[in-house]
Amino acid sequence: MSILYDEGQQAIATESRRVLDARVSKDRLLKLLEQVGDYDQGFWDTAVEQGWTALAIPEEHGGLGLSLVELGLVALASGAATAGAPFLTFGYGAAQALVASGNTELQTAWLPKLASGEAIGTVAFGEGTCPLPPVPATVYAGGKLSGAKEAVPGGLKADLAIVWASHGGQPALVLAELAGAARAPVDSYDNSRVYADIAFADAPATLLAEGAAARTLALDLLARMAVVTAHEQVGGAEELLKIAREYAVTRKAFGQPIGAFQSIKHRIAEMYGLVEVARANCIHAAASEGKPNFLIAAADARISATDGYDTASRDCVQIHGGIGVTWELGLHLHMRRARSLAVELGNLYFWEDLLVEQLTGEAA
Amino acid sequence: MSDLDAYRDQARAWLDTMAPKYGRDARRGMSEVDSLAMGREFQALKYEAGYAGINWPKEIGGQGLTHLHKITYDGLEMNYGMPTVFFGISLGMPVPILMRFGMGENKEHFPWVKERVIKALRGEEIWCQLFSEPAGGSDLAGLRTKAEPDGNGWRMTGQKIWTSWAQYCDYGVIVVRTDPNVEKHKGLTYFWVDMKAKGVDVRPIKLAGGDSHVNEVFFDDVRLEDSQRMSPVGGGFGVALATLMIERYIATDSGGFGPHLDVFTDLVKGLDLNGQPALKDARVRQQIARNHAMRAGLDSITSRAFQMLQAGMEPGPEGSLQKLVAVRSRQKLSELAMDLQGNLGLHFDPHAYVKEDWGASWLNAPTGRIAGGSDEVLLNTIAERILGLPQDHRPDKGVAFNQIPA
Repeated sequence: MSILYDEGQQAIATESRRVLDARVSKDRLLKLLEQVGDYDQGFWDTAVEQGWTALAIPEEHGGLGLSLVELGLVALASGAATAGAPFLTFGYGAAQALVASGNTELQTAWLPKLASGEAIGTVAFGEGTCPLPPVPATVYAGGKLSGAKEAVPGGLKADLAIVWASHGGQPALVLAELAGAARAPVDSYDNSRVYADIAFADAPATLLAEGAAARTLALDLLARMAVVTAHEQVGGAEELLKIAREYAVTRKAFGQPIGAFQSIKHRIAEMYGLVEVARANCIHAAASEGKPNFLIAAADARISATDGYDTASRDCVQIHGGIGVTWELGLHLHMRRARSLAVELGNLYFWEDLLVEQLTGEAA
Repeated sequence: MSDLDAYRDQARAWLDTMAPKYGRDARRGMSEVDSLAMGREFQALKYEAGYAGINWPKEIGGQGLTHLHKITYDGLEMNYGMPTVFFGISLGMPVPILMRFGMGENKEHFPWVKERVIKALRGEEIWCQLFSEPAGGSDLAGLRTKAEPDGNGWRMTGQKIWTSWAQYCDYGVIVVRTDPNVEKHKGLTYFWVDMKAKGVDVRPIKLAGGDSHVNEVFFDDVRLEDSQRMSPVGGGFGVALATLMIERYIATDSGGFGPHLDVFTDLVKGLDLNGQPALKDARVRQQIARNHAMRAGLDSITSRAFQMLQAGMEPGPEGSLQKLVAVRSRQKLSELAMDLQGNLGLHFDPHAYVKEDWGASWLNAPTGRIAGGSDEVLLNTIAERILGLPQDHRPDKGVAFNQIPA
């Protein structure tokens, strides 16, 4: 089931784009690339002020009670601007974990704070090369968590993390407060994501779900975050399409705009195809939240948006020639973001296998 | 239940009653001529039941329903494999164009046009579209078939090619050159032509896949009355473009009119690769996943276009991606399906159905990438019309047709 955006949703799309256009500064984003451990505070203040942190949190917990559709539209705008801190996506994931846990005590303690931006949440599922290990090495027992998670997005600044761990040999989802955890910043090609290696040593933690239920919930959370991220990726890819198109009609060579050469115009037309297919998948996936086919729809969106953003960043730079690889022009902001988004939410191998498992019942 | 849901249920129920006699399974192994006879029968029944000319005006023999009703019905019918392929072009382009441009200035031809429309809807008459020529396919305006004034009419000589079903056609619409002394787009005029007229010679072309649904059509000094003219003299290119644009939102198929992805996964489920189930192989899984993601996106574009039409809005231009993206993927997926079968994939059945059989799908896929706008032309159209990129450099621009180097 796809949808047409209603007036309220269209207003969110326009307004978030307008606010970000006014406030995001390329110079600041470029500076952040060379600073380890800092995120775009200006973006985050905007997100809080605009209520984006509260969008998808239920009203009884201080949120706005809206859906993935609205959050997706905000993500589309931030993707276009390579704005952002990872908290928009991963904070949403953490909040959804609490909503699903049914633990009212934790919900009361954290959801209003996540909605108001007073607290920052993240999600730490992966270990090593695996986005969701069958039996994680991080262990939860007796209210304590021990183990390590590498390059957790937003991990350096978050106040709490939803952690994928083992509990008595079974997978489990736990909530851990990060105040006492050992965190080391990761020097990355996209430093404003504030990745951190986090080590838990008997850190206090609360069990949210275990066994098969934990895996089901983890997959649902990944799918939800993948849909937000896919919107962000489509926003980025669409922006690159516009930039490439603009350059191709302006820049002249051999006596004509380079966009008159089929090698260029066809490349741009192919980008358009990738963007529109991915966008259509995003709209469908956001509208499928909570429905039986949601995981499939989310994987479709994740795969097409990841491929679309990677390809668009590759091709947009190529179309620019030499100027495209300069620090100052900043196309590398998109190149970097395309890769960080492609990796941090589980690589395509993970999503392709997951999708085929959902379609055929056959695990990899 | 919405009106459309009810309509869909009703249409499905009717198609279910027709399928045992006219559906794909009932016609397996049947010759093309027999299939055409079945098709004419079915088309007449379809007309009686009110499923022909669904969105055409009532006064000319249609049902007066919306475009949405039509794509709803077409989408359903596609699943049954009914023998309607012979009428697809006829009812898709030439006949609607006849309704729009063939009435005459004072609607004086209305009774004749209405008779043609009803006979075409009933499958009694078939119309073809005579556009492409050996020297003008993608470059339609480069065509060379000419018509010269002859008293109060015209005489036409030349050759058309790739004309679908011309061997069974009663009439055709044709665009020809009436003035070689002006720019190529400006010297064209649009007519309808009687395919049984003296001087018309239709020769089927056997295609790579073994069948012969396209033809060469030769015109040797064929007489045309001026009343057969459907455009101003020199205004034929505009009507030709109108013909090509006539239905931007037709029933589409994210499988590229080849097998659907579940046909592929069903095949893979029964196969081994390197001694393990092929479905365990990462390369195979990647292809399934990528194709699914792409096809799901196309399906979502289609369903959104449908919702927009329902809401009285104009769907976005992204619908123009369908054929480009889907047929390419069908071609590659067909190759992969053949590969996965190893030597068993060497079997070939020339009569197999392209939506069920990978060999047939593969061998016929190139046609899909060329007919109705080649991939390259579609990419140009997307680049120029949607994205506003400049046109290609065209040395024939502003040059009289007869001055263009041949």
